[in-house]
Amino acid sequence: MEVVRRVVRIIGWTSIVAGVLILGFVAQQLFVTTWFAQQNQEALVEEVETHFEAAEITEVEYTPPAPSTTTPGVGTTQPPGEVTPGAGGSGTDPGAPLVPKKRTILVESTPEKHSAFAIIRIPTIDRLKDGWTVVEGVSLRDLKNGAGHMPHTPLPGQPGNAVISGHRTTYGAPFHELDTLNPGDIIEVDTALGTHTYAVRETIIVRPTELWVTEPRDGAWLTLTTCHPKFSARQRLIVFAELIDGPNWEAIYA
Amino acid sequence: MKDWFISLPGPMAVKILIAAIVIVVGLVALFFFYDWVGTNLLDSGGTIG
Repeated sequence: MEVVRRVVRIIGWTSIVAGVLILGFVAQQLFVTTWFAQQNQEALVEEVETHFEAAEITEVEYTPPAPSTTTPGVGTTQPPGEVTPGAGGSGTDPGAPLVPKKRTILVESTPEKHSAFAIIRIPTIDRLKDGWTVVEGVSLRDLKNGAGHMPHTPLPGQPGNAVISGHRTTYGAPFHELDTLNPGDIIEVDTALGTHTYAVRETIIVRPTELWVTEPRDGAWLTLTTCHPKFSARQRLIVFAELIDGPNWEAIYA
Repeated sequence: MKDWFISLPGPMAVKILIAAIVIVVGLVALFFFYDWVGTNLLDSGGTIG
């Protein structure tokens, strides 16, 4: 009888301790990490403002790529760059190859690693309608502070495919409601150049190793990545958005 | 717990100090463990690759 009582007591205490540990885990992940992230946001907003003032902005020549029709895996028709007939631009030789017209775009200096340099805003998502900072880098440390820009991809507002990752359920969960975005919804990114406006084109779910979503694209694109489903790191939710307005839009698309 | 506390060396003030240090170190270790589990299982930050 004494043995049974002792076993029951051990099982009881083990259950209580396990319950407290699990509750502590949930509280730490959902509330403590979010509290830290929100505290960091105030300092990071100041860092972004400092970057806006200090960033060097230069004009560089930009040659749009030759007209293309689709981007693999997305199925979205790409707006071709403006083309002029003939290398000399005379327009008199109908048999001459189409040569893209050269233009200039604004480029900001590359932000320092781990520093906040932009603000992402999604008006249709409560959590993001006032904006969330974007830091340079996607290390665990970077993503604890804000959404993270993947360093080897172009900065937002530049031609190509700018990739930004963010937490879905912890550390402020900036991309918690990313799955509610529909084609046509607006995403704005403030950088030292100004505000770049993107329209959502497509949302897909992929495996975490599917690097093709970060590959360069014709035009100017923003790709947002986050964990999927919520409370799991098993897959990735990807949102593709295309530039529809901003300081470089005309040079890239007009 | 009570037995563990009583078995700590030194007078009562030292016992309390040692217990407090052990609890703080334990909580910090637990915090890092939670962070590691959360990052690997719940939400890695959504990066690709």
